[in-house]
Amino acid sequence: MARLGRIRKQTEENTELNMVPIMNMFMVLIPFLLMSAAFYNIKAVNTSIPVHSNAPATNTPVDKEIKITVVLELKTDEVRISALSDQVEPKELIAMETTLSRPSGGDISVVALGDFLKKIKTRYPSSDTLLLIPDENVRYYEIIQAMDGVRNYESGTLFPNVVLSGSLG
Amino acid sequence: MALSKSKRKSKKFVPPGLMLTSMMDMFTIILIFLLFSFSENPEKIDLDKNLDLPTSSSKAEYSEGVQLLLSKKELRLNDELIATVRGNEITGLADESLETSALFQRLKTHKAEEVKPEGEAPKASHVLFLCDRSHSFKTINRVIKTAGLAGYPNFQFAVLEGE
Repeated sequence: MARLGRIRKQTEENTELNMVPIMNMFMVLIPFLLMSAAFYNIKAVNTSIPVHSNAPATNTPVDKEIKITVVLELKTDEVRISALSDQVEPKELIAMETTLSRPSGGDISVVALGDFLKKIKTRYPSSDTLLLIPDENVRYYEIIQAMDGVRNYESGTLFPNVVLSGSLG
Repeated sequence: MALSKSKRKSKKFVPPGLMLTSMMDMFTIILIFLLFSFSENPEKIDLDKNLDLPTSSSKAEYSEGVQLLLSKKELRLNDELIATVRGNEITGLADESLETSALFQRLKTHKAEEVKPEGEAPKASHVLFLCDRSHSFKTINRVIKTAGLAGYPNFQFAVLEGE
């Protein structure tokens, strides 16, 4: 009985873990992970601006599929949508015009915008360019929000080429 | 006094036992947090405290280009201070004087310095534009118009990954 007690005592004494090597490993791992940690992820939204060109217009072969350019005027209280194309009858282009209201300073209704643009995209599937004309007072984050809304909707691509332009008026 | 001395002498020195368990717990939590935020390619762009980028659902990666930063207080081209910003106004960058502005001159110089690889088509250079989310289009338009006039019509708007 006394022997058993002695063995138990010995076992209890040996169970203390040496934490120092583990601590050393942690001290090496933490600075390494701190250096390679990314606390934010920066992504890019590709866009371009209209460029004046002096080069003569070339006669490109006419595509079998009709392409249109959607014009989106982003105002502080509404969003106006229209379309441009020399391959489509003016009557049809007028039918594609609409105005979506938005609360002043509020978010753009991405669902209403996406639904409308999806209809245009379904009708003219090879169209991929949208001309975005924001109002002077529209904030940068609203422009990015609109760009997100016109590029993708319901996991489908709408108009990936967004050209940013100032108002001509 | 003598008694206390002898008492002190008779005591054996016992090294103080460190309580490492709580420290281990803390380190484990830190380690797990850092493992989750580990990135093979950590961001090379340092965000200014006066720069609040908008969030976007875009998944496109940015590429190296001319870096133009428009924060709440200043306009920088590749870390070089070009102008200061007060509200919606950028000093020395008015609608009627875009082609005489310091930004235009610096971008023109930068464009001229770009070396075209021999025998290859010249690379389409672009501007990586980092802009504060609160700026109005009136302010932004002056900057992007100037860049366009200097030969940079293609842009990558830097955004934070989000919903």
